[in-house]
Amino acid sequence: MNEHTENIDNICATLDKLTIDSLILMQEEIELKLIAENAMIGGETHLAKSRYILGQNNVSSIQLPTENSPEFRALTTIDLSIDEFGLHQFSLESKKPDNENYINPIKWFGYLTPQNLSFAQNLYRQALQWIIQAANIQCKLKETCKQINQLKQIKYIINKENK
Amino acid sequence: MALHSAVKGKLISVIGDEDTCVGFLLGGVGEINKNRHPNFMVVDKNTAVSEIEDCFKRFIKRDDIDIILINQNIAEIIRHVVDSHNSPIPAILEIPSKDHPYDSSKDSILRRAKGMFNPDEMN
Repeated sequence: MNEHTENIDNICATLDKLTIDSLILMQEEIELKLIAENAMIGGETHLAKSRYILGQNNVSSIQLPTENSPEFRALTTIDLSIDEFGLHQFSLESKKPDNENYINPIKWFGYLTPQNLSFAQNLYRQALQWIIQAANIQCKLKETCKQINQLKQIKYIINKENK
Repeated sequence: MALHSAVKGKLISVIGDEDTCVGFLLGGVGEINKNRHPNFMVVDKNTAVSEIEDCFKRFIKRDDIDIILINQNIAEIIRHVVDSHNSPIPAILEIPSKDHPYDSSKDSILRRAKGMFNPDEMN
């Protein structure tokens, strides 16, 4: 009976720690997404200013490449690594444009683009950095939730066996 | 912290409104691969729900995509498909858009995590 109580106490203590961890991770993820949102709002403002200068339809999805456009590679990619605890960790990797495979996307909007378009580009790159951090936190949160569920199941089984 | 293995050069895909797609593609995430498949989708008011669902499912199946960014208001439209995705890769991140600020109570992962603090679940 004592061993059973001790086991349950240990599980409950671990569950408490994991619950606090998950609350902290949730808070961190929300904060990161709000920071990313701020960067995106800044980017949208600069896109709007660019539209004012270049014209409504000159900074829109019409300029984006389509399935008929020539093949090109992403300038910003992610590297995925798995740490010693089996958690997925993302990191951003940026390449320099070479005008062949790697094209600076700003050129889709013309060769004489307003400075606001470069400001928008920088702000969206910043938003990406925050979003990747949020993705890492989300992975940790998912793993913590998984551990909590596993412990709850163990606790349920122990309680059931000792009834 | 020691990192055990690393996979390089995976893509970030975007499903979003015009500004979100233009912005993130300007940031350099866009790619048209050898098979002429883009890693982004611009959703407007005329886009059918089935089209968004198909695109989302296609991105999930692609092994060169590790993160899917989707506007939260669009994720709401295909919530049943977003909620059914449980594997860690690709990671799905719900992001705000110009007309819809971020709402953590709608986020698929956060809702699942908050659900664990249900008093009935704690026993």
